[in-house]
Amino acid sequence: MLLFRSEEHIDRWCQDWNQPHGATLTLQQGWSLAQLWYGPDRRDPAWRRFTLDEAHAIFASLGLTSPFWDLSG
Amino acid sequence: MPADLTPHDKEVRRLIFDTLMRTGKAPSSAEIAVALAAPHDTVRASFQRLADAHMLLLQRASGEILMAGPFSAVPTAFQVHSGGISYWGNCIWDALGIPAMLHQDAQIITACGDCGEAMQLTIHGGTLAPADGVIHFAIPARRWWDNLVYT
Repeated sequence: MLLFRSEEHIDRWCQDWNQPHGATLTLQQGWSLAQLWYGPDRRDPAWRRFTLDEAHAIFASLGLTSPFWDLSG
Repeated sequence: MPADLTPHDKEVRRLIFDTLMRTGKAPSSAEIAVALAAPHDTVRASFQRLADAHMLLLQRASGEILMAGPFSAVPTAFQVHSGGISYWGNCIWDALGIPAMLHQDAQIITACGDCGEAMQLTIHGGTLAPADGVIHFAIPARRWWDNLVYT
């Protein structure tokens, strides 16, 4: 996951590296996703990875509901 | 299906993240063995079980930590400064994840993935300061663990 100055820079990167356009997040979406994903304390013995349903719920809370964000399969 | 983690595995995990959060440096398996007064082989076995559970990514040759999300054990293009300590994130999501995990103010020093222009993000009081930029996820979520270094 890379940071770009703008959508135009993403498009150029995709062309230069022959990659399909993936998904674009605003910086605020990225910060919110980081807080939800990495906020729980991983030093805690009770910490565990999110289940698929929990991860999908996090994505959905940020409007990330396209097939791109489907972790199953 | 990865094996269930043992209490020892969870203690190793606690020490890995405690060390990374306090110092920005990933501990070696030998350092953890000393800290826990445990046989080195048992710590390396815990590293492998934590990797099998997708909680760590190990360096292929050495078996030492490469990634313990959101932290990178090796330098990357995503440097994070917080509380007088420097950290490396694996990607921009992880770079943002470091202040999220630390619950501290931070500055993220990186560059545009296309043109290399310097970019900086600031987290202050739990808020991302206004800045230009967009984040691109190139790999669909279901393929993230196929090649995490590339992702």
